[in-house]
Amino acid sequence: MSTAEETPKATDSAAAGDDLAQLLGRVAARDAAAFATLYRATHAVLYGVVARILTRGDASGEALQEAYVRIWEKAGEFDLAKGSPLAWMATIARNRALDEVRRIRPTSLEEMPEGFEPAAETVDPLAGRARSERLAALLACLGALDADKREAVLLAYYRGFSRDALARRFGAPTATIKTWLRRSLMQLRDCLES
Amino acid sequence: MTLSPDDDFAAAEFALGTLEASERATFAARRRREPELDAAIRAWEARLSPLAEATPPIAPPSDFLSAIEARIRAAAPPPAADGVAALQRRLSRWRAAAIGATGIAAALAIGFIAREATRTNAPTEFVAILQKSADSPAFVASINLATGELSVRPVAAPPQAGKSYELWIIEPKLGAPRSLGVIDAASVTRGARLAAFDRAVVEDATYAVTVEPEGGSPDGKPSGPPVFVGKLVPVEP
Repeated sequence: MSTAEETPKATDSAAAGDDLAQLLGRVAARDAAAFATLYRATHAVLYGVVARILTRGDASGEALQEAYVRIWEKAGEFDLAKGSPLAWMATIARNRALDEVRRIRPTSLEEMPEGFEPAAETVDPLAGRARSERLAALLACLGALDADKREAVLLAYYRGFSRDALARRFGAPTATIKTWLRRSLMQLRDCLES
Repeated sequence: MTLSPDDDFAAAEFALGTLEASERATFAARRRREPELDAAIRAWEARLSPLAEATPPIAPPSDFLSAIEARIRAAAPPPAADGVAALQRRLSRWRAAAIGATGIAAALAIGFIAREATRTNAPTEFVAILQKSADSPAFVASINLATGELSVRPVAAPPQAGKSYELWIIEPKLGAPRSLGVIDAASVTRGARLAAFDRAVVEDATYAVTVEPEGGSPDGKPSGPPVFVGKLVPVEP
């Protein structure tokens, strides 16, 4: 698998987000050319989402295809008031990948995509540049969690770790992990609403 | 919100993805029946979704765009309401697919539309595409209302040993499905079996193919669910 990264121009500015929203509007009107443009602008981010969870190239490709079919079908439901176009699309891709990974088998720590360093890459997005106000707010709230609990949330989000996988990772009972998650998620919600 | 704290936490875990397989499946079933639960999941997805947007990109190993476009086309509605242009696009696509599968079947379809087309105000030529899905052609039925003539051409319909394909006309006014006869898988089937039906019935009907014992249904009724169905589309130049 190639791990060469593409710069997602779509995420670089609010103006680009507006472009994606316009493209989604045209896709909702069944504009095939707009769909192709949307795919080109976003597929590397969406593949990044599914490949981190599924780890196997064939399963990732399948999930990516299913996600874009769903985006085509659901484009009319996108609501800019509830989030950015890319966040909406990436969530669709992520849900496809989660359904698939829960169907196949528990996530294994050993199965990493080639050239992947999750500890450096997915566990510390706090170092990344905030791309939107929503992301900035979420990162600030994540930053207020204890380091272990923040890592658990991020491993779940980016790598699709289940409670059991997190328990193995942190050497803690599953019940403890559940308690961590509950406290962390409620703390996040309160922080985002404050 | 009347959602219990436990359910709200489960919605959060569903959105985060930490539920085990059986819990996830159970919860997915519940959200379909419980709008509040569904709304809670969506709210949690929205809270966390900026993280998805911030995911570092990875270039896929190959370009999936054309495969995705093919899936979208395959999921498109059947051609019943389409104009003839869309039908011709479909036929040409099927032709391309059929050439890959069987050259003989493809030859049956080539030029079909052009030959059957007539230029009249009220179309008398109709075709029905009997298909499992948009990309799996099976039979092309053409009907000339002026003569009551029906012809059925197999297009990449796999023959089944010891079985026959039987064509049926289905329309509420007729009550039960009526047999239009057994389709000869090896050649074009022709007959004048439609003369007995009203024109409006013939135009509005659904046409279906079932798999029957060799020689056709023994009791004049379909033995099982249709394997291919389609509606008529007028053929206009």
